[in-house]
Amino acid sequence: MPILTRYDTPARLPEPTDGHRDAWSSRVGGIVAALTAEHPQFFDPTAGEVGSDVQAPVVAWTAFPATLLEDATSEEQRWAAADASRDVQDEYCEWSVERDDEGVVTRVTFTTEVPEYFHHLARDPDRLLATYRELVGPDVRPEDLVVDGRYQPRNVHNRSTTGRLAHLVQDSNTLEAALRLAAQATVLREDADGHPVTSAMALVRCGRLGDHRRNSDPQIAAAVNDAAATGAEISLQDPVGIYIDRLVIGGMETPDHEDPGTFWTVERGDAQHVLRASYAVPPDRPYRVGDITVAGRPIRFGAQLADRVSVRLTALVRPADHRPERRPCTG
Amino acid sequence: MTTRASSPPTCAAFRQLPPGMLQPDAVHRLVLGEDDAVRVLSAEEAAAELGDPFATHLLLRGVFPRTAGDVLTALDRATPVGHPLREELVFLLGEGSQLPTGAATAAVDRRLRFLVTRGVGAEGADVLLSAAHPGSGDVELMAWDRRAGGFNFYQSVGDSTAWVFAGNSRHALRGPSQGRGPFESHLSGTVVMKELRSPWLHWHSQAANVLPSVLPADPPLVGHPWVTARNPQGADICELAVARPGIDRWTRARFKRLVEAGVVDDPGRVLVQVLDTPSVNIIASNRESRDVVAGGPLVLPQTFFVDSEALTEVLGLPAPPRFAVAAETYLRSLRTFDVHQEDDDGARYAGDAHFAFAVPERAFEDQAVLRQALATGLLSDRLAACLLMVDFPNPVFSPRRAALLAHVPPRARISDGSSDLPDAMADAILAAAPDTPAGSPEREFAELWDDVASLGDRLRAYYAAVTGRLGSPTGFDDYVRLADSRRRRVRQMPVSESSLLFARTNVPPRERRMTADGTVVEV
Repeated sequence: MPILTRYDTPARLPEPTDGHRDAWSSRVGGIVAALTAEHPQFFDPTAGEVGSDVQAPVVAWTAFPATLLEDATSEEQRWAAADASRDVQDEYCEWSVERDDEGVVTRVTFTTEVPEYFHHLARDPDRLLATYRELVGPDVRPEDLVVDGRYQPRNVHNRSTTGRLAHLVQDSNTLEAALRLAAQATVLREDADGHPVTSAMALVRCGRLGDHRRNSDPQIAAAVNDAAATGAEISLQDPVGIYIDRLVIGGMETPDHEDPGTFWTVERGDAQHVLRASYAVPPDRPYRVGDITVAGRPIRFGAQLADRVSVRLTALVRPADHRPERRPCTG
Repeated sequence: MTTRASSPPTCAAFRQLPPGMLQPDAVHRLVLGEDDAVRVLSAEEAAAELGDPFATHLLLRGVFPRTAGDVLTALDRATPVGHPLREELVFLLGEGSQLPTGAATAAVDRRLRFLVTRGVGAEGADVLLSAAHPGSGDVELMAWDRRAGGFNFYQSVGDSTAWVFAGNSRHALRGPSQGRGPFESHLSGTVVMKELRSPWLHWHSQAANVLPSVLPADPPLVGHPWVTARNPQGADICELAVARPGIDRWTRARFKRLVEAGVVDDPGRVLVQVLDTPSVNIIASNRESRDVVAGGPLVLPQTFFVDSEALTEVLGLPAPPRFAVAAETYLRSLRTFDVHQEDDDGARYAGDAHFAFAVPERAFEDQAVLRQALATGLLSDRLAACLLMVDFPNPVFSPRRAALLAHVPPRARISDGSSDLPDAMADAILAAAPDTPAGSPEREFAELWDDVASLGDRLRAYYAAVTGRLGSPTGFDDYVRLADSRRRRVRQMPVSESSLLFARTNVPPRERRMTADGTVVEV
């Protein structure tokens, strides 16, 4: 694996200058440096040669929030709950829905773009505005985004589940949270009886590693922790980010029997690193997203697609000879 | 070559075929119940019977892979870059996959096995193979036959390059091949994923990773493409991309034939999947049993209490509330009933299954049949609702509901989205009801039929009663006993392949049933 000289932008999004690139790298590097200082099995891939025997396991999960599953009484109830607020879309993926005058779904847009990147963009207000106008629409005004010189992530264009969203805003959906989780999960744990804690939910609770009811946190924690138990060192693969992995089309049916996968459009990133994607029927076809069925039911909620969108991050596991000792639970 | 197979009527028949009975580099036919001997298919016979991509790309071209890995390599060689059959998904499961690692479990057989699919699209996968290891010669393979419809089932045996065609999905539904060979567990001839829904107990998933540290070391798997980078994929992908669409695919094809024929010669074969419990799926709470701690609720699976998949999601009747029990009550029940797991060698592991309160629920393949029966008009909403509301507190293993199969007409006509079955069956039950004892299923059906408007109220009253019972330790203890009775039934079914399928208890082995007032009675 080549030496990493700096952290690239999510999905290697273009930056106008090397200075901008360095600024993003410093932002990520600052987070990583604090974590490596605290967790000896979490490493900084820009600090030296990563090694040729490094593995890059993918950790993937569903965009639909698992925290809503427990209390769900019916499919429709949980879909409506997930579509109701960005604050419940806590799986490092958020979405918004557009409808026509009849209330029929016409487009659903998903994003995994972290707020940190938009704070980075906000160093250049013109670039921030241009990006917003590209993602959300031409009506965005500078004063909608920046107030008293500070970028407002939850601005009028990026806080609801309708229209076109810009980036993640749910409190837990940050790059720093993902990195912190990965770093903290390198700590091996044991319960009060001295038994190793290795199962995903119990590990999250024991180490206070996030929310044990989510899809994402327990799985990331368990994968990292299992690798750490071998003595290995862990980091995240460059370009560090959370990516949309795929839309599962099994069970989807279009009125004209067109492949339902053809209406999935990657809007930002590339095929390997999808940051933003939308589902919409081109205008030359006589039907809308709401006329497509999923498991026999018309699409009435963005959450019906969120059930089928998977999200991922890629870890780096570098063999090493750490001999970690298990620590007691903190949670 | 024709060789007699003195074999049991199960999949074991294939594993027990001595290598000498099979000819290398040949495709054989042994549809149990239809063939009384395994025999080599001639090229003409094979070409006439086998239209799936495994056959057309490999077997019919003289390519006979020896191992699971060889099958995939051969498919790559047989297809151009970008061909859907090169698109691969790998999944991993094992009933012992979540047992903790350590000295006590070092020798346990975790029953790890892989499901590998090729050619996944909106209708599921075209090729599915199951094997314990890429180097394994014991491969079970299903491939969708676009020409004939249905899955073709194959088996390879040991180190041989011989392949045995074991039947098509249609063999699961007719004549003496029903319930035999692969159709012992693939009862309706389609994909089986027992733990179909979240949290996919026993599968590698976003809810519970099968960690690399439990992979077999001999032969080693760590570093193999089946377990590196994106593999194994999560069970959520298998559910949505492979299992559900695959089950729906065959169910649609099956009903398409019925509709095209205009006559259903054996409607009882359909109704048994509506009224009885030929198979089950397994559902559990979304909470790791080790993660249940005092102070909070444990939410139990809805479908333990009511068939909400059919009654609510398909027929639109009122949804159940969240059924939950206090964590303290659940934890106390683990001690009261000595809940533990036991592997095939008899070793004990204290505690519940990896996810708490795993129980059987109505199988998705049976739900798919209900939906297709409604979509094609073979059943009406009213008939389906009234049938399923008979003994509704027992969504699985209800002899009362199954007794109504006696009133299924021998034939039904179906055309233009409706059939004569709903009236014929309802009339038959209503005619029989007066001559049956008080409280009979027929009388219960008649009461529901005459008062369809009451169905919602009946469900709501039951939901309230169950919620009340869950508030007391004795009420929950009754549900633990009921759950144990249902698990024992499943252990007698072909889908039960491991002692680790469910946790065990000290509950006396008796039949139990739920009543509409939320109490449990011994039968």
